[in-house]
Amino acid sequence: MSKRKIVIEPVTRVEGHGKVTIKMDENGKVDDAFLHIVEFRGFEKFIQGHPYWEAPVLVQRLCGICPVSHHIAAAKAIDQLVGVDPENLSPTATKLRKLLHYGQVFQSHSLHFFYLASPDILFGINAPAEKRNIVAVAAHNQELAKKGILMRKFGQEIIKALAGKKIHGILAVPGGVHKTFTAEEREYFLDGKQIPNVDTMIEWSKEIIDFMKNYHTENAEWIDNFAKYDSNHLGLVDKETGALELYDGRLRSVDATGNELLNISDIEYGYHFKEAVEPWSYLKFPYMTKYGRENGWNRVGPLARMNTCSHINTPLAETERQIFKAYTQNKPNNMTMHTHWARLIEMLHCAELMKELLLDNEIMGNDLVREGTPRNKGIGIIEAPRGTLIHEYHTDDKGLITKCNLIVSTTHNNEAMNRGVRAVAQEVLNDKPEITEPMLNQVEMAIRAYDPCLSCATHALGEMPLIVKIEDANGNLIDEKTR
Amino acid sequence: MKKLDNILIIGIGNNTRQDDGLGWAFLDNLVEQGYNEDNLLYKYQLMVEDAELIAEYNTVIFVDAYKKELENGFIFEEIEPAKQVSFSTHAVPPNQILNLCETIYNKTPKAYVLKIEGITWEIEIKLSEQASNNLEKSLNYFNQIIIPQTCNN
Repeated sequence: MSKRKIVIEPVTRVEGHGKVTIKMDENGKVDDAFLHIVEFRGFEKFIQGHPYWEAPVLVQRLCGICPVSHHIAAAKAIDQLVGVDPENLSPTATKLRKLLHYGQVFQSHSLHFFYLASPDILFGINAPAEKRNIVAVAAHNQELAKKGILMRKFGQEIIKALAGKKIHGILAVPGGVHKTFTAEEREYFLDGKQIPNVDTMIEWSKEIIDFMKNYHTENAEWIDNFAKYDSNHLGLVDKETGALELYDGRLRSVDATGNELLNISDIEYGYHFKEAVEPWSYLKFPYMTKYGRENGWNRVGPLARMNTCSHINTPLAETERQIFKAYTQNKPNNMTMHTHWARLIEMLHCAELMKELLLDNEIMGNDLVREGTPRNKGIGIIEAPRGTLIHEYHTDDKGLITKCNLIVSTTHNNEAMNRGVRAVAQEVLNDKPEITEPMLNQVEMAIRAYDPCLSCATHALGEMPLIVKIEDANGNLIDEKTR
Repeated sequence: MKKLDNILIIGIGNNTRQDDGLGWAFLDNLVEQGYNEDNLLYKYQLMVEDAELIAEYNTVIFVDAYKKELENGFIFEEIEPAKQVSFSTHAVPPNQILNLCETIYNKTPKAYVLKIEGITWEIEIKLSEQASNNLEKSLNYFNQIIIPQTCNN
């Protein structure tokens, strides 16, 4: 057998464009495997020279899936440029931003579970490619598909009510928000007349967690071991209690066994993190300076958040978290596929939080914007659906941006995804005489668990086939499959 | 106001990428002509949940930029629910949205795609001259042919 190279391009059912290269040696074993991020965005550069107040509007154009997360992270940073720290924002502004954020996490997690991940779970890893999609899910389980659509819709309607539109809307302004919530808007989400209400969202979230737990019981060996590897975990936690925190908190990292590696104020992140680069990817590799490139990388996102928080401050999600944690005897969970389970617990948490806020009269207040003494540096960190999202801006005395640094969630997970690709490739491809399409799908599943957002913004009809190329070591094409 | 009874027109695109904004520019023009905005929808991309939305209409028209050359600068085609599948939330084609609508909601609105040829796709909010001409031709066709036809169906 000669050396050969397998290329999966683009990786499917993820947000954006990436490709995987797997190098096989003469003995049919995986030599190495890489996830390449082939998009380049350049936002950090071209935002320079723009006035600071444009940042929350401009940077959300990074993405059509998680613009709200970028909007909020940038807004938190810009607040500091006008001298307003998170604790000094008005209660109404904080609550409205949080409601927007929870709507975003809820709709994003719904999208990932129902549209992207559920085909693998419902039909199994060996199902034919033509069956592994939302259409087949809909045909198989009409009610599940309907619920998936309506849950995502609920989150998007929250976003639309607050930001004006579902994608690339605006709520936050420097030091606050530009609009309040009306009684009529609130009633839309509570009365259930036009869309299923927030109580229904809570019920359905519980149902889908039960579905996942049953699936886990029936498929524990596979779910527990697929793409499993030890790692550090990073997430925001509540400043006082250590609870799961999505909007504003301390950055905490633990290792694979639960030892605390980091517990810092979010604005200190620059002293504790560095970013490495590799020539084969546009995505950087962040790591904790103290522990170095090899040992200092973290996983972020739902699984990491379950591992870094002490508890969840909503009752139903906390009950589910305790069940989740009991499975690993309260130690950190390093089972990659359990990320799906953790993601659903967060959906329930967000549904509960949205209900709390919708019932809070303060969201209809009129104290919207606060002012302070301007500064030249602002850092905004939130937990986006896919993990820790960091925005940092520096300005000159005219308020023009001179420097910008963005570390997006998927960047934190870069090392983790590459390790996952390598582990699964070795597990499923080594010594196999024929490389089948379901085998390659398993490689993609290791990436898909992280719900990476590789983001793109322009679309046209009839584009983007999946092409799998198998080349020999000299780059000669041996086989090619398209789907 | 010009009414679009039970017709939904979805403009797909991104107006910050030059001719990728053709779908939105088409809708902008309909707004200027006085069509009721409730039936005009601006989208960056189609998503699965659009299946729920189109289930409420008798007719849906998808308007999007097209990268390949078209004889008249645009083409208007009726489409059927597709059995083919898409693998990315970034590229769900209209005929698959129809498929989902049929599969989940047991409804099949009459559906068309209006493809308008675009030329340039850089980061700028401005249509190319040729794309603007193609847009104008497609709008004339819409007003003279499509609206009388679809409203009579």
